[in-house]
Amino acid sequence: MVKVGDMLVGYATDENVRSRGASGGLVTAVLAAALEKGLVENVVVMKHINEFEAVPIVTDNVEEVLASTGSLHSVPVNLAKYAMGRKVAMPAKPCDAQAVIEQGKRGMIDLDNTYVVGLNCGGSMHPVTTKKMLVEMYDIDPEDVVGEEIEKGKLIFKTKNGEEKAIAIDELEEAGFGRRESCRFCTLKIPVNADLACGNWGVIGDMAGNATFCQVMNEKGVKLLENAIEAGRIEVQPASEKAIAIRAKVNSVMEDLGSTLEKEIFPDIPDEERMQYYMEQMEDCIDCGACKEVCPVCACGEDSKCTMFHSLVDNYKMSMYHMVRLLHLSDSCIACGQCSDVCPSDIPITLLQSRFSIPSQRRRNYQPGINLDTPPFFEVILK
Amino acid sequence: MKEMIYQTVCPGCNIGCGLYIRESEEGALVVDFMKSSSANLGKLCRFGMKLPHYYSKATNVVDGKEADIKTAVKAASDKLKGAKNVAMLAVGATTNEEHLAFTKIADALGTVVNTGIGAYEEIPSECHPSISQGIPLDDIEKAGRIALFIDPYVQYPLLVRRLLAAKKNGATIVSVGCRDLNLADENLSINPADYKTELGLDSNSIIIADVHPHTDPEQVKNLLNLSLMTGAKIIFMKPFVDSTGVHLFGKGVGQKGLQEIMDGINDGSIKTLVTLNSDLLELMPNTDEAAKTLEKLDNLVVITSRDSPVNKLANIVIATESLYAKAGSFMNVEGQVLNNSGESTVGIDAMSILSKNLGGEAFDFHAIHDKMMKSVVQKFTAPKYSKLECKVMETAAPAENGGNLISVYNPFMWCDQPDDNDFVIVNMKMVDKLGLQKGSMIALTSDAGSVNVRYTVRDIPDGLILTMKKLPVVTGNSTVVKAEAV
Repeated sequence: MVKVGDMLVGYATDENVRSRGASGGLVTAVLAAALEKGLVENVVVMKHINEFEAVPIVTDNVEEVLASTGSLHSVPVNLAKYAMGRKVAMPAKPCDAQAVIEQGKRGMIDLDNTYVVGLNCGGSMHPVTTKKMLVEMYDIDPEDVVGEEIEKGKLIFKTKNGEEKAIAIDELEEAGFGRRESCRFCTLKIPVNADLACGNWGVIGDMAGNATFCQVMNEKGVKLLENAIEAGRIEVQPASEKAIAIRAKVNSVMEDLGSTLEKEIFPDIPDEERMQYYMEQMEDCIDCGACKEVCPVCACGEDSKCTMFHSLVDNYKMSMYHMVRLLHLSDSCIACGQCSDVCPSDIPITLLQSRFSIPSQRRRNYQPGINLDTPPFFEVILK
Repeated sequence: MKEMIYQTVCPGCNIGCGLYIRESEEGALVVDFMKSSSANLGKLCRFGMKLPHYYSKATNVVDGKEADIKTAVKAASDKLKGAKNVAMLAVGATTNEEHLAFTKIADALGTVVNTGIGAYEEIPSECHPSISQGIPLDDIEKAGRIALFIDPYVQYPLLVRRLLAAKKNGATIVSVGCRDLNLADENLSINPADYKTELGLDSNSIIIADVHPHTDPEQVKNLLNLSLMTGAKIIFMKPFVDSTGVHLFGKGVGQKGLQEIMDGINDGSIKTLVTLNSDLLELMPNTDEAAKTLEKLDNLVVITSRDSPVNKLANIVIATESLYAKAGSFMNVEGQVLNNSGESTVGIDAMSILSKNLGGEAFDFHAIHDKMMKSVVQKFTAPKYSKLECKVMETAAPAENGGNLISVYNPFMWCDQPDDNDFVIVNMKMVDKLGLQKGSMIALTSDAGSVNVRYTVRDIPDGLILTMKKLPVVTGNSTVVKAEAV
């Protein structure tokens, strides 16, 4: 019997899934079982194109789910929008799970029918930057990479000839590579907001590299695991005290690093210079609208305030589009970095939005995308 | 719910931005981001974000009636057999493979495929490699000084981040044009005779200009001369997804510009026109005038993947699959071959039958693709800058008609696609002079007609009016218009 709060270590029973999947293939097996036993109608997975490219697909085919195994730190996609309007299971970084919850609050995702298998995340990287980093820092041909992992503060790449090369993330980031900026100040590393919180932190001894640590966060997590056990797709056992302590320690180190970097990334700006700062940062905007399109917490659709009050013919010093978005997303922005990723003018939109929204969120002791206990603070104020 | 996911390239210009198109069972299209694409890192401009509008599906037509593709190809064969005074046009808005297939039809008809850029014919052929294939886009970020002869924000938006990165790396940017650019350190409005002395370029500099169907060849010569005299590298941006490929793989001889083709139709030397993904109603500055010209043709055969205005004038439309679904490749402005993931060969197969019916060669996609790839390998193995091999040219002053309404060509304008751009740009002096009030409009009148438009105010040279949208009053790159407040 699985119950809420359990901390387990487990793996896929299918040898092929176990060996191909990251950390014993438990997540893949849980998702496959959810589909084949009818717990969900679809699964969102990343279809591999190569080590640096994968495309999210929504599938009802178990084989496609099983083929999606493996970690992809250099494919920074947020999956929440692919879950909309479906009875679905999905793997989720903490920010994917945050977006699912924010969309759930706004009625765009049915949380009762959305099963979220969370994955620990130390941060993700941009694929093109990663390829450059491989050449310049690792002396590895990107074509030779067959896998990657973040462990003990190091980024490790595995190559076709079986070799591994690790470099400290600090060193990479000092050289201008490594994780995306939004990941550097993120402090939600274990997806405690998902139904299951899975990852390799705390997997020790003989199990290291071949199993997944899994924390059951709620009743849906119980269903997911029991379903996979019943289907014969996974085996689990209780995690040892030592394993639990190690996982907590790794998490604490990662959280502290995020907090430290937050201070570096957001230097103070005097109040009287703030408006000018935002205007200057936004002045190369080409009005493509990609930041809205990709935003996993935007629930407005086409008739949105940010676009309805904005026109290219306007002559404002800062566009109404950005002004409205800054305000409107201040209680929902999860700083996932998608908007910065797709900005064709390389405007650090995530940083600008976070600089704007984090103080408001903290003043109200509100963190978006964590649970349904606290409604969005705009809603509270309006009521 | 099943969906097809296609990896493709944005058709908005020749930068070659990678993206995904998701097509639902019902045919609804959604653009998705492909972050591993080296040309754009998954980023897209306003045009790229609106691509579903562009991909409207065409219908096969024979003499005004819907038909199947077999009937359309047969009818085209009948019309073209023995046809005299034939011209063919493909500007590069489709794959390399389709372009090569189209050239085989031209062979069968004893003619050439025109790519519509007449400027090439005026410039020594030894300069063509430097015009057709530019520099690796990454090199822009490493330049010491950059001279811009385009408006990157409007015309080639995916250059903006490259230019900003160059500035972060210490570059200075000078813009020569009609509008002050925020990213430029200096904005100049100077004559070609002053380029060399005023722009401060050297071998660590890059000149960014563009060449398109309405480019004045004299300006291209001026810029090539500037490159030759200063040692600065030069890149010519281009408006169509395969502009570089069609030049490389085309025959490059006897090329006619769009205006020459229109002149040929008007003077009767062209009686039959065959086009491949090239709509002259969209491409010419004045749609109405272009329509009147095309109506003079005996035969207009359109091979296209889009439902665009010229289809309604055509005697025969051979409708091919949407661009994103085609098997094939494109060559971007830096010389990279970029592949579609689509596997459909409807267009190639139709052209193969047409070619065979006309007494030419039959072919299939794979044969054409292999030929294209061999050709690429023979000409270059990796994108690199082709140093200019020509000598400094004699130039005349760029042709000017003293027009005050200037067209700023951009992806929306080339495809005449809807956008929130139905306004003109004027400066504050013109606002005062015309007595414009907030909310009022400007009436523009030219020989071609009149139109009322909204306006916005920017720093531009006195007396000029800029438009990013095709207006019915426009007759060329610049048009003499009378402006009044409404």
